[in-house]
Amino acid sequence: MIAALRRTLEALCGLLAAAALFAIMWLTLFDVAGRKLIDTSVTGSLELTEMLMVLVIFAGMPLVSLRGEHVVFDSLDPLLEAWVRRAQGFVVDLLCAAALAGMAWLMWVKAGNMMQYGDTTAQLKIPQGPFVYVMSVLCALTGLVHLLLTFAPTSHHHPGVDEGGGTL
Amino acid sequence: MTESLIGFGAIFLLALLRVPLAFAMGFVGFIGLGLMRGWPATAAGAAQVVYETGFAYTLSVVPLFILMGNFVARAGLAQELFRAAYAFVGHVRGGLAHATVLACAGFGAICGSSIATAATMAKVAYPSMKKLGYADYLSTGVIAAGGTLGIMIPPSTIMVIYGIVTETHIGKLFAAGVLPGLVCAAMMMGAVVYITWRDPAAGPAGERTLWRDRLAAVRNIWGVALLVLLVLGGIYGGVFTATEGAGIGASGAFFFALARGALTPRVVFEILVESARTTAMLFTILIAAMMFANFVNFTTMPGDLKNWILHLGLPPLAIVGAMMFIYVLLGTIMEELSMVLLTIPVFFPIVVQLGFDPVWFGVLIVLVVQIGLISPPVGMNLFVLNSLLKGVALRQIFKGVWLFVASLVVALLTVLEFQPLALWLPGFMK
Repeated sequence: MIAALRRTLEALCGLLAAAALFAIMWLTLFDVAGRKLIDTSVTGSLELTEMLMVLVIFAGMPLVSLRGEHVVFDSLDPLLEAWVRRAQGFVVDLLCAAALAGMAWLMWVKAGNMMQYGDTTAQLKIPQGPFVYVMSVLCALTGLVHLLLTFAPTSHHHPGVDEGGGTL
Repeated sequence: MTESLIGFGAIFLLALLRVPLAFAMGFVGFIGLGLMRGWPATAAGAAQVVYETGFAYTLSVVPLFILMGNFVARAGLAQELFRAAYAFVGHVRGGLAHATVLACAGFGAICGSSIATAATMAKVAYPSMKKLGYADYLSTGVIAAGGTLGIMIPPSTIMVIYGIVTETHIGKLFAAGVLPGLVCAAMMMGAVVYITWRDPAAGPAGERTLWRDRLAAVRNIWGVALLVLLVLGGIYGGVFTATEGAGIGASGAFFFALARGALTPRVVFEILVESARTTAMLFTILIAAMMFANFVNFTTMPGDLKNWILHLGLPPLAIVGAMMFIYVLLGTIMEELSMVLLTIPVFFPIVVQLGFDPVWFGVLIVLVVQIGLISPPVGMNLFVLNSLLKGVALRQIFKGVWLFVASLVVALLTVLEFQPLALWLPGFMK
């Protein structure tokens, strides 16, 4: 059950984040090429990029949590008994879930305010509120991932070590 | 002052308890600011930080440069770079190790990540060195160290992050990294010379390559050289911004990998998701660090510390030198990105107050991150090699890297002493 849930989440968020990132790449290419070569730019490309960035970052977050890729100080691990590590992982994931739930709630409130004021982007007049709702929902989803991890812990892995990406 | 110190203490405590660093910073920043400034304002401020970091056009430079590096890494270009470098220096003692440094420098010009550079070169350079009978301590040491050129030679993820949090011009930071990057490479090659002089069996010479074959090897890499020139030259020449350059670079790398037949839809998807994950992880830390910085800036610590240090009447360079010393020490045990983001709110104002150029300080920051990445016991580049090269014990990797750590410390002192090394090239930019 949990494995299936995990796969579905990976696929959905992965698709969303990947599509958004790919779109940013093409958008920037067309915008710059258009401006430099034929003197026309994509209208509102800046705003579109901003909204796509929201998707890349926040749809990526559940994936990072699912794979245990957050930066942690794990040098003490070998010194701890297995049951201590399990208990520790349980508490830490609960803490993370609570923090993300709190963040999701704050973003939800902010989104509500922005909807009320009718905040839109400058050029294309796209309402921004819905995107803040998306941020909130994806934050909450990441929180749920951490709750899921309290039942089925993932082993921390150093991002980039296994696939050659990595933060720095 | 006390509030900040408690805050820093709390972060270290939480980190020791294995709370992810991003969450530790976010928690402490939020609660600290909440206690001092009141909860409603803090809550609204936190939401604002998340919102602004999410909706930021200039920050799209981060995933685009990551994407560029990942596309090129999959294109199998590292092999050709290594072969070209080998064609020129392979016949000297320790030639393969020298070639590794040069290939890393070349790869660093497309890739902004030290870890990715080390991981890519490990797959290419290590088997060749093994075949020629190189000692493991030399081959792993040189790959780990060479990998760090990925973040000094532009593009560079850490420079972008530094540029964002300190509002320093990213293009200038990139330009500033070129000469120090070459200095680092030269120092590393010096370390290779020293090692193979002490222990000639560790790195035997290879065969000499004919000029005809050398030129053929260079022809194989012209496509990427062109891409690098376009992206970095374009940013340097002011033709486009760093963000635009990153977009051009990522699409160029995409077409490049496509032309080489390295991409299937499945692979493209994997690369995109991987880049998005790295981006998300970076931004989690970035957002949390900004919350923490808001707290620290609300306390009197930055001001107190600034006054205290300025009243000591020490030579300015000694103060920066002391900061670097702290960084190098912290870097042995801390994850480097969080180390930089935690300390910037405190150190940066002092450096600016002392009259130093933020661009120069940025280069120094990259150097201490480089050193941190390869200094045991906690050095990400070393862990990468440990997980990729199953046959080599971590002990061997630790043993071989010390001389390279020393060579980077020499590079750090050089840039500390000769500021024009970093500031000359960006000086021509508008």
